[in-house]
Amino acid sequence: MTKAQNDSVQKLTQWFLIALLAVYTFYNLGPIFWLIISSLKSRADLFAMPPVWFFEPDLSGYQQVFGVGAAAESASAFGVLDSLISSVVVSTVGTALAVILGTMGGYVCSRFNFTGKNDFLFFVLSTRMLPPVAVLVFYHLMFARLGLADTRTGLVLVAVFANVGLATWIMKGFFDGVPKEIEQIALVSGYTRLYAFFRLVLPMVKGGIAATAGFCFIFAWNEFAFASILTTTKAKTLPVKISAASGATGIEWTQICAAGVVLIIPVLVFFYLIRKHLLMGMTFGVLGRR
Amino acid sequence: MTTPMLQLTGLKKSYAGKKALRGVDLEVRDNEIFALLGPTGAGKSSTLLASAGLIDLDEGKVHLGGDDVTDIEPSGRDVSIVFEGFNLLPVLDVYDNIAFALRSPAYREPEDEISKRVKRTAELLRIDHLLDRDVDTLSGGEKQRVAIARTLVRRPRMFLLDEPLSALDLKLREGLRAELRQIHREHRSTMLYATHDYHGAIAIADRIGIINDGRILQAGTIEEIYACPANAFVGRLIGSPSMAFFDAHIDEGQVVVRGFSQSFALSDFATPGTRNGKVLLGVWPEDIAMVDAGATQSNPGRIYAVDNRGYESAVQVETEAGSFRKVLEDKSHYRQGETCAFSISRGAAFLFDPESGGLISRGHGGEE
Repeated sequence: MTKAQNDSVQKLTQWFLIALLAVYTFYNLGPIFWLIISSLKSRADLFAMPPVWFFEPDLSGYQQVFGVGAAAESASAFGVLDSLISSVVVSTVGTALAVILGTMGGYVCSRFNFTGKNDFLFFVLSTRMLPPVAVLVFYHLMFARLGLADTRTGLVLVAVFANVGLATWIMKGFFDGVPKEIEQIALVSGYTRLYAFFRLVLPMVKGGIAATAGFCFIFAWNEFAFASILTTTKAKTLPVKISAASGATGIEWTQICAAGVVLIIPVLVFFYLIRKHLLMGMTFGVLGRR
Repeated sequence: MTTPMLQLTGLKKSYAGKKALRGVDLEVRDNEIFALLGPTGAGKSSTLLASAGLIDLDEGKVHLGGDDVTDIEPSGRDVSIVFEGFNLLPVLDVYDNIAFALRSPAYREPEDEISKRVKRTAELLRIDHLLDRDVDTLSGGEKQRVAIARTLVRRPRMFLLDEPLSALDLKLREGLRAELRQIHREHRSTMLYATHDYHGAIAIADRIGIINDGRILQAGTIEEIYACPANAFVGRLIGSPSMAFFDAHIDEGQVVVRGFSQSFALSDFATPGTRNGKVLLGVWPEDIAMVDAGATQSNPGRIYAVDNRGYESAVQVETEAGSFRKVLEDKSHYRQGETCAFSISRGAAFLFDPESGGLISRGHGGEE
């Protein structure tokens, strides 16, 4: 094969890959794009066939979702703000607690040997093995007795229970990648283990903490089963609220689409905030023995 | 005798059922460099970690400067250590890595004193131009020098160095070895230096301890060890080339080696005992002379390999009872595959137990 031919083959391969990625991107982002434009359509435009591509943006969906503007007094409005706050509080507080506990547990399991360590690790993981449906009833009874039913505190606890096991395992893996000499250097140099942990080891697993927080946040944010059973009015999270969005006039698609956009935005914000550390976390293997 | 700086008594340690230390006894005297020489997995690192207090011992006692420190935390032992592998803190730059211990609660110094000491140590190790660099931008050799500087910047009761030079190339290694000796001379410091490298050990150490399989086989000056290797394993580890071994047996007062025309009267050996049967005959290559074929008292061999080094050469000789390597002072006229003859100085041989490797007896004199 001549060099020119070789070049053209390479170019062709490149274009093929680009096309493939474009299709994949469209496959992933298409529904989100559709969700966003649907949320901006009026009811008439939404059901128009063939679909309308150019239309006057109509914010009534959002107005109804937040219960403001023209929809402030409307019966079909479903004030989403409370649920949004519930979701944000439950997800962030739940994630923070799970990551803090998981970081401590992961460090202990990575660095120390104690009787029953393997059983402990298995137990911690096993809390994720049962499908939520299997334990829902018991949670419900327990929460009712403890006065945690339909409270944000209760949902925060659920988020912590559901995520702490995973967080422990992930963080153990990241700590395993940190050479034990780090603490040994500190100990021999006259420092305490606590100093070594906070000042030397933790900075090395920043990326791991971000990645763990990312996982926990997604789980907590999307959690539906527990939230739908354990809440009735006050502490409803956004996914639960949206699923119940069918008004007197049938399913309110514009509202659902608008609420869907509202549901996506905090996740994007969260990942935007941790993006730098996240990349570090995903390439962690490189950090271990440099 | 003064109290030893470091005294280890009966150290035992197992990792998940595998015995790493099987009763290590060791004394390092004040102001000496003691090299712990042994192959990989012999227990060198574990011995150093135990001295620093970084592993929990199953049994045994550690004394530092006469004090029992067995139950004292690493931060209270006042030792400084270079690890075999990972040595620097990636979250700190080179200067802060070197200054690390001098800022700790236990060994704190004023900042201007730290600055002086860090600069001086860095100059000594020729890394003063790297002080404001991040550690992950350094080459392997630079990292190792920073690690040594991090250790040497302190004035602890003793230094523990675990293969500190093994990651470096030959030239750098020789330079750093000289610098370690220089620092040792200046500060009269005590060093325990673990290595698998015989040349490195004899170049730096006042005394050497041979460790294998979690036990110290012998400790002493290199002359003492040469004069009386306690074990066949010691012979295999010491010397360049190391000791030659021949399968032999004792028969009616004579040590007989198959294929040799030389035999060795038992009366030439100190404390020969009355045993019969198989023994291992060990001879330092320096006590073997290559002779012309047909000379009296010569043994036949075959040149297996010749290694010409320009001003000298090394030959490997095969015999029926074992092979040996020997350095010849001039360029070798031997060719690979040809026959040769050699003779062993009278009274220079050692007898070892072929099973345990323990020394049975040594020849009178050694030199002719």
